[in-house]
Amino acid sequence: MSAMESNNSVGQCLSLSINSKMEDTVLVAMAIRGVCAMTGLTMEDINRIELCVVEVVNNAIEHAYSGNSGSRVDVDVVVEPGNKLEIIVKDQGKSMPALGQVDEVQVPDPMNPDTWTTSGRGLPIVDQLMDDIRYESSDSGNAFHMVRQLG
Amino acid sequence: MGFSNRQEAEKTVVEVDESRLDASLATPFRDYIFDLIGQGQKNLVVDLSKVDFMDSSGLGAIVAALKQVGGDGAVELANPQKAVHDLFDLTCMDKIFTIHGSVSDALASPKKA
Repeated sequence: MSAMESNNSVGQCLSLSINSKMEDTVLVAMAIRGVCAMTGLTMEDINRIELCVVEVVNNAIEHAYSGNSGSRVDVDVVVEPGNKLEIIVKDQGKSMPALGQVDEVQVPDPMNPDTWTTSGRGLPIVDQLMDDIRYESSDSGNAFHMVRQLG
Repeated sequence: MGFSNRQEAEKTVVEVDESRLDASLATPFRDYIFDLIGQGQKNLVVDLSKVDFMDSSGLGAIVAALKQVGGDGAVELANPQKAVHDLFDLTCMDKIFTIHGSVSDALASPKKA
């Protein structure tokens, strides 16, 4: 059974594809906001889910494709009303190391500028805001799954 | 669209005329601020009122600005929308930035250096 069939059996699935450039991440963000608006999530939740999706898509563009446009990032959104929302970001580029334990968001020390880091906050934010995340890598590509419970 | 700045009350108000301060704009924004700092404008008030979305890259650019002014000045933020304020809260960045409700509040606060 394909992923699509398996998804259809438990909920509704929307599949999106964008060119691997940062300027196009907004297209996914707006589509996800639209889907989230169907689910009864609060505005704060919707903003946070948008943030997570943008972080993971940007991560794929930056790391899997080294920031180069011209490749595809695919995003599947699976909605199981009253149960959960799952978002899967897929690429065919370089894979990341296994997620393992994602670092917690680092609390900056006002007295120590060395702790005011300018990058590396994306995945800790996603880990903090989503109920479950997992990353799979295989010959057919990489897939970052995020799950947010509904209801 | 884009960024602009003006001098007011001995501070430089940087207006971000963009709805999304994200990875696609983080580098141009950081370069813009670094230019201002390079010209000696080190007391910055970033007016975020038009920004309805910021990601960790946009945030990183603002943190880079703060590090660039070092102890010689300040980077203060004015009027972030809810989602942007939420990002500062989630990342505890509200501990290292002074966040004002409006540009006029930011201008009324004492200059740091």
